[in-house]
Amino acid sequence: MPNHSFSSIWVVCPAYNESTAIVSVIARLRQAGYDVVVVDDGSADETRQLATASATAVVSHPINLGQGAALKTGIDFALEQGADVIVTFDTDGQHRASDIPRLLDALVINQADFALGSRFLTEPLSMPRMRRILLWGATLFTVATTGLRLTDTHNGLRAMTRRGAQAMRLRQNRMAHASELLAEIARSGLRYVEVPVTIDYTDYSLAKGQRTGDFVMILLDLLAGKLYR
Amino acid sequence: MIAQVVLSLLLGVVLLYAWAQYRRSPIVTVLSCVASLMGFYFVWLPSHATRVAEFVGIGRGADLVLYVWACISFVILLNLHLKLRTQHELLTQLARSIALANATLPEDASSSSLQRMSSLTEAQTSQPRYRLADGPRSGQTADQSA
Repeated sequence: MPNHSFSSIWVVCPAYNESTAIVSVIARLRQAGYDVVVVDDGSADETRQLATASATAVVSHPINLGQGAALKTGIDFALEQGADVIVTFDTDGQHRASDIPRLLDALVINQADFALGSRFLTEPLSMPRMRRILLWGATLFTVATTGLRLTDTHNGLRAMTRRGAQAMRLRQNRMAHASELLAEIARSGLRYVEVPVTIDYTDYSLAKGQRTGDFVMILLDLLAGKLYR
Repeated sequence: MIAQVVLSLLLGVVLLYAWAQYRRSPIVTVLSCVASLMGFYFVWLPSHATRVAEFVGIGRGADLVLYVWACISFVILLNLHLKLRTQHELLTQLARSIALANATLPEDASSSSLQRMSSLTEAQTSQPRYRLADGPRSGQTADQSA
């Protein structure tokens, strides 16, 4: 039995050209009983039409803005709907809907405002070596810049309370949003907890995932974000 | 002498530009001011520039002035980049507003969700905020379908 008593849980799914996986991802979330808002980030394929057929709501950016911008739009939408809890969930099929109850329970049990998924708290998982090194570097960077004690800093599966979502000021549109989100958690001073979740790597999700060069751009974006108000 | 005056005028423009940018990006202002003041110094005291240039291994004072100018150009380039980011943020806000104002509710969404949205929509705005997915009923509000 779940420990939480949240009455309105919205799952935010940012999507850009995800027609391959989006139908099954939404179906699993809807079967689990969650309200799903898909934020179509200016996709050129059938993503919006497919999402419209199965999601609770679809919000479409008129142009491609980036995953960070899509998440922010989805969070804003969920807040407008009166969400008690907002879950962020990648649409490439790498997350499991069955992990969400653990995140929700963790919020209640730990009286936290953020429950962050970590792939490194579960059994050892097979992962390309370069990706493991990059994630390790990102974790070190996050610990150094935010002071947060985390094992996985770039996991798209998270849950946040309404208060947590309202406390964040997200400005990074592109890949740097994950680091920015953690920085905002640190700045808010609200409680956070890490929760073990499973990542299902597929050729598709790996192809859609970040590349080595992305991490350079993330650092540059974060630096540029510090230089202006 | 003419070159010194022209360069000084240009450096003065850079200083004014830096001052105007202070509210948006203090660091750009500081960098621009430092580079401009260095420029003034070397333009009017070229013998010092030559000495400093020799000290750092550049050779001629004129080359040093050129390098300082290159630094100023870099700072301005950085500022333009930041300005572009600011513009992009505004564009993002605009696109987000449009997206949220045109949120789509598929026809098979759960009735509970629709009811919740309907009540919120009624409470928050007098204008229909959501529209249904494409189809013959397009244009109806969530209130009508609930």
